[in-house]
Amino acid sequence: MSRKIKIEDILDNCLERLFKGESIEDCLRDYPWQASELEPLLKTSLALLQKSAAIQPNPEFRAKVGSQLQGMLHAKREKAEEKAVGPIWRRRWAVAMSTVLVVLLAGIGTVAASADALPDGSLYAVKLAMEQARIALAFSDTDRAELHIQFAERRATEIAEMACQGESGEIPALSEQVADHLDKVYEVEEAQEFEGGGPKILAPTPAPVPGPSGRVWDDTGGGEPEEKLKTMLGESRARSLSVLQAALTKTPEGAKASLEQAIRDVEQDYDEALSNLGN
Amino acid sequence: MSIDEKEVVSRAIKGDGEAFAQLYEEYFDKVYRYIYLRLREKAEVEDLAQEVFVKALEAIGSYRWRNLPFASWLFRIARNHMIDHLRKAGKVEKIDWDDNIAHVEGPNPARIAEQRLEIEELRDNVEKLSPAQRAVISLRFGGELSVDEVAKVLGKSPGTVKALQHSGIVSLKKIMLVDR
Repeated sequence: MSRKIKIEDILDNCLERLFKGESIEDCLRDYPWQASELEPLLKTSLALLQKSAAIQPNPEFRAKVGSQLQGMLHAKREKAEEKAVGPIWRRRWAVAMSTVLVVLLAGIGTVAASADALPDGSLYAVKLAMEQARIALAFSDTDRAELHIQFAERRATEIAEMACQGESGEIPALSEQVADHLDKVYEVEEAQEFEGGGPKILAPTPAPVPGPSGRVWDDTGGGEPEEKLKTMLGESRARSLSVLQAALTKTPEGAKASLEQAIRDVEQDYDEALSNLGN
Repeated sequence: MSIDEKEVVSRAIKGDGEAFAQLYEEYFDKVYRYIYLRLREKAEVEDLAQEVFVKALEAIGSYRWRNLPFASWLFRIARNHMIDHLRKAGKVEKIDWDDNIAHVEGPNPARIAEQRLEIEELRDNVEKLSPAQRAVISLRFGGELSVDEVAKVLGKSPGTVKALQHSGIVSLKKIMLVDR
């Protein structure tokens, strides 16, 4: 029995050496007392090894499977990335839920007090978080666009207030935020158009129907939200620029240049947004 | 498993396409040969080899090298898949040899014909072994696995695998002598 185990071990050791390219003679030299038994087994093994090595898949088939697997890997990776980011509604709910946590932790009173907070105030972050939550939870794209217009105007008002206090340091960042909100009005409107099933078809416009008070109502449906946004944007522009112009008289000399630059920027941003909506 | 292979496998687990391609390059032919020694029909061999790698790709995220060498893990998939296939098919057909031999350099029809015969003979001889010997021989020579790796695929001890390897080679020697 012990001799049999030994030959099994020796055979395995020699096989490993054959796999690595050593010759039968090399092995036999190390086991002379087993050579007669070992030699025919190693010759059989070598024949087996050589014949097995001759079995090869068709190169075209091999390449085809390789590219199929790469395609699967690519799809798998894309799926994983999509899963990591999550659909947009999930991200929006994540923002909203985080805000609920902020509200719970900070308290409802704090949230109410944050409404008038300015960028240098401790509650300003709460104010911004609440705005993000409202945007995330908006029922429709139009509601979301309206909120962006509303918050752009808030930032403009904050620019005016900061300038009046002589705090010009925050003004450029606030101007950027006005631009960001106004850009999003256009993005939301564009997405709505895209999701609506492609380009709008220009149908013959029916005659306007006079409303109960004599006001003319557009009952065509198509284009109404866009018109509404345009109107809102125009009104917001007027109010924002009015507040900013009014602030010029109350602003200390040291902050005036920043405010004047902000007025130019904000005016341009509103005009661009109106122009984009008009296209 | 070498340190390099551990590193490649770790990257493949994380979804690195290049790493998986390296493993494919390393193991595809071995898996193919292993399956080839157990089945006859070329289309079956190709389908199974392909399916083994698709399964491996799907499952690699859950592979942990600590308890099982990668080669053993992969060949376990191959073996289980082949057993399922054989159970379902239940019939064995003659193989088409044309696309399954090594590409001999230069136009040498005599060598190609000779090689075909040798491979056919090998396949027939392996088929005459007992199922346990056949399992060990096809994994050891077709899959080029070590005794320890074969033991992990089959769930046997290395001692048992060595014994089956020895008895399998002794049987093949006798079979080959009778054939001559």
